[in-house]
Amino acid sequence: MTPAAPGDRVARDDRVAAANRDALAVLVSVDGVGPATLESLLATIGSAADVLRVAAGPNGAASLGAANRDAAPDGVRVTRATLDRIVEAARSADTILSGMRAGGVHVLAMEDAAYPARLRTIEMPPRVLFVRGADAALEADDAIAVVGTRRPTDLGRRSSSRIGAALARAGALVVSGLALGIDGAAHAAAVEAGGTTVAVIGGGHGRLVPVAHDRLAAVIVDHGGAVISEHAPDTKPTRGTFPRRNRIISGLVDAVIVVEAGVRSGALLTAAWALEQGRECFLVPGSIEAPESAGCLAWLRDYGGVARIVAGVPQLLEDLGLAATAAFASAPERGAEPDHGHRARPGLRPPRHDLFGPSVEAVAMDLPAREASLVRALATGATTTDELAAVTRLPIGAVLAGLTVLEGRGVVTSTYGRYAFGINGPSIAPG
Amino acid sequence: MLATLVSATLLGLEGRPIRVEVDVASGLPGFTIVGLADAALRESRERVRGAVRNAGFVFPARRITVNLSPADLPKAGASVDLAIAVGMLMGSEQFRPAPGRIALIGELGLGGDVRRVPGLLPMLASLASHGIHRAIVPADSLLEANLVRSIESIGCRTLDEAVGQLRARRRASPTAPARVALADAAIAADPLGAAAVGSIGTGGRSREAATPDISEVRGQAEARRALEIGLSGGHGIIFIGPPGGGKTLLARTIPGLVPALGDDAALAATIVASASGEGPIVGLVRTPPFRAPHHTSSYAAMVGGGPGLAPGEVTRADNGTLFLDELPEFDRDVLEALRQPLEDGRVTIARAARSVTFPASFQLVAAMNPCRCGNAGVRKCECPRGAPDRYMNRISGPLRDRIDIWVWMPGISAASIVNGIEPESSRVVAARIAAARKIQTDRSSGLLNARVTGHALREICGLGRVERIRAIALADGERMSGRGTDRLLRVARTIADLEGASRVQVVHLEEAARWRAPATRSPLALAG
Repeated sequence: MTPAAPGDRVARDDRVAAANRDALAVLVSVDGVGPATLESLLATIGSAADVLRVAAGPNGAASLGAANRDAAPDGVRVTRATLDRIVEAARSADTILSGMRAGGVHVLAMEDAAYPARLRTIEMPPRVLFVRGADAALEADDAIAVVGTRRPTDLGRRSSSRIGAALARAGALVVSGLALGIDGAAHAAAVEAGGTTVAVIGGGHGRLVPVAHDRLAAVIVDHGGAVISEHAPDTKPTRGTFPRRNRIISGLVDAVIVVEAGVRSGALLTAAWALEQGRECFLVPGSIEAPESAGCLAWLRDYGGVARIVAGVPQLLEDLGLAATAAFASAPERGAEPDHGHRARPGLRPPRHDLFGPSVEAVAMDLPAREASLVRALATGATTTDELAAVTRLPIGAVLAGLTVLEGRGVVTSTYGRYAFGINGPSIAPG
Repeated sequence: MLATLVSATLLGLEGRPIRVEVDVASGLPGFTIVGLADAALRESRERVRGAVRNAGFVFPARRITVNLSPADLPKAGASVDLAIAVGMLMGSEQFRPAPGRIALIGELGLGGDVRRVPGLLPMLASLASHGIHRAIVPADSLLEANLVRSIESIGCRTLDEAVGQLRARRRASPTAPARVALADAAIAADPLGAAAVGSIGTGGRSREAATPDISEVRGQAEARRALEIGLSGGHGIIFIGPPGGGKTLLARTIPGLVPALGDDAALAATIVASASGEGPIVGLVRTPPFRAPHHTSSYAAMVGGGPGLAPGEVTRADNGTLFLDELPEFDRDVLEALRQPLEDGRVTIARAARSVTFPASFQLVAAMNPCRCGNAGVRKCECPRGAPDRYMNRISGPLRDRIDIWVWMPGISAASIVNGIEPESSRVVAARIAAARKIQTDRSSGLLNARVTGHALREICGLGRVERIRAIALADGERMSGRGTDRLLRVARTIADLEGASRVQVVHLEEAARWRAPATRSPLALAG
């Protein structure tokens, strides 16, 4: 390292910040250094770089221990075993850091300008974030979390996709936890819609769970998003790391949307953090017969004042103040849309049509005849190719070709050979 | 006294002539067989002993040595029983044969009866190429033996009858029907084309009796369409759906949908059937084989092997269909072993001493549940989280690449069974398949679309500008690999052939795109 030119303070400050960032990353990588230990060390010894300097010096562990014991205010003392490991890490700091970089992971410290501003405001924000992807993704004018159960119903998955896509199209950052089910659907839909999404994972980057979402994580990063963690890459996810992770999800956003959650779902924990951190909380209601929605319904009953209801995707965007930016690809002109059967009753304002997505006919109007008849058939409740062929009376080959076109446009999605309206489909659920 | 006779053994799918030397000499009574005989052949001693005595001859109380030559060729099976017994009778001078070289093939029962052996057809073929023109064969197998035109075969039921034949040197056996030359047999066996196939399966129990008609599959129009396309172009197909959706029934209709085998293919199929010991063979096998090995099948059962290097299921399915039900439940090794045959149309079994190559050009048809519990997509899936993905991932990438058509079959609703359009019969579908295949083989010098690759594939597709853009969008937009694009084009070409269209059109591409492999779909498909 060349000595800094006199007066070149900015460059020197940068270097100090970089050294400190690296030192923090090394410290956090040490087994046994949790938030409390880290705070204790920093409070008694100084900056992270100072800690490593003392550790690397002669008799490192003893010096660290002495300094920590003398100054530790209320008895949070670092154990000897941990101190030994810190000394060891201080000696192999370069290996640890280069390993991290090789895995495409870089470090963001709380002091860095790129550290997300929203996250700074929470209680005990993570000192460092391990980031895979672009820092820029973490900061957005609007950031919304979409979370929920790992075992959703088909409808829940669909809601998650539609919400994720609508948020992305409205220019909001979609944040979630990369879990199976609701989380994954929201991430994937945001990417599909051309938006940015950030996944906060519960373990280290080297221990990504679920493994099934390996490729999804890569796709998120490839599309300008990021996967972040407060844990060093080697950290194994455990029962305890996921609830802690949830506070970061809510901390990164303005509002948390829970799509489906059973009574004991971790998604409700994220919602609880959101309220604690002064974020908004929205819950998608569901049937009282569906265990997947029991948690959401319980919250809507118990926290009626603060927990808000998701009455539809356009309504949600309006409630979030995103409606102005949201553009419906084929929104019908007001008045041109046929009545859906809503009757104005005295004292009740009829729902505003433009708040619902395009109607079946509006979507069908923009499509060639073959695809239009398939959309109408889907709206009558047909879900399989057999049923679609029976309703449309098209030959099976035409049904299949038409579905390819519709799927390519996002109007329909398919799972296990059943078809439903997708993120660009009409807002009226089939059947 | 020394007697020398000719017989044959089976090695893989090939016959090998064997010289059988029997020496009956004075000395301590004994019976020794030398010349790399396997277990079945060593036990020949006991069969010959019983057969000779019970047929009314005398088992000589002398020193009997049987030498099977060539000495270094491992010999398997009981096909030389008859030659050993006859040689012993000649060696002990119990009868004197008329002059002339004649081969003897057959297994002996303890009562002196001559029984069928597997592989008679290839054995006789090898004898013919070694200049043998007459053979005594089991009477049961005479129709099979008569497929080899250059050998005059005489059917015998017992050892006694065989001895009588050798003594008398009559020109033809009284039990032999008029000989039919191989080429004639091909025509005689199939005078009415495909329609007559049912009457000449292997044996009286015609295989067609068990083949359901495709009209019995209710609903599932997409899967029926996919099967028709797959069979037309020789594309590998997989049906994915919950139990009870008709996957297996659909696969079992295949023998009724594919055209009868041509002469060369029929001869190859007959040789495989003969070597595998499949029932009595009464003529050329015209029905394309349909093999459905269970998912517990071992590596050797699938690929071939064992002491006699016997052909495995992939070879027995040559020129026909290999149906693998519950694909992910097969052992990984067994599935990986399918890669070579799927790529090259043959399989090589290498052992320390020697290696053999068997034909193994088959149409792959597979079926699987969407997950282990089978409920995904119908009811609530009871698998642990992530398990459905892992279940799908048991099918390795290279094997996925060999499957052109992926069909998702949702469970069928009662409504679609009752209201559905009356499905077409196998006869109607088979006619379309045959026509589409003819277009392909005429165009690509005998190849079906599934075997056409690279430049030739793009040439036969004849994509115009619009079609080219659409193909790129369908392949590119979905992050398809080069192989994925080829698969899309191949299937589209077959769809066009079924319509008789000379060029691939956008609608063909769009239909083909419906059956892309699951991993090549949009990011939405990545979310578990």
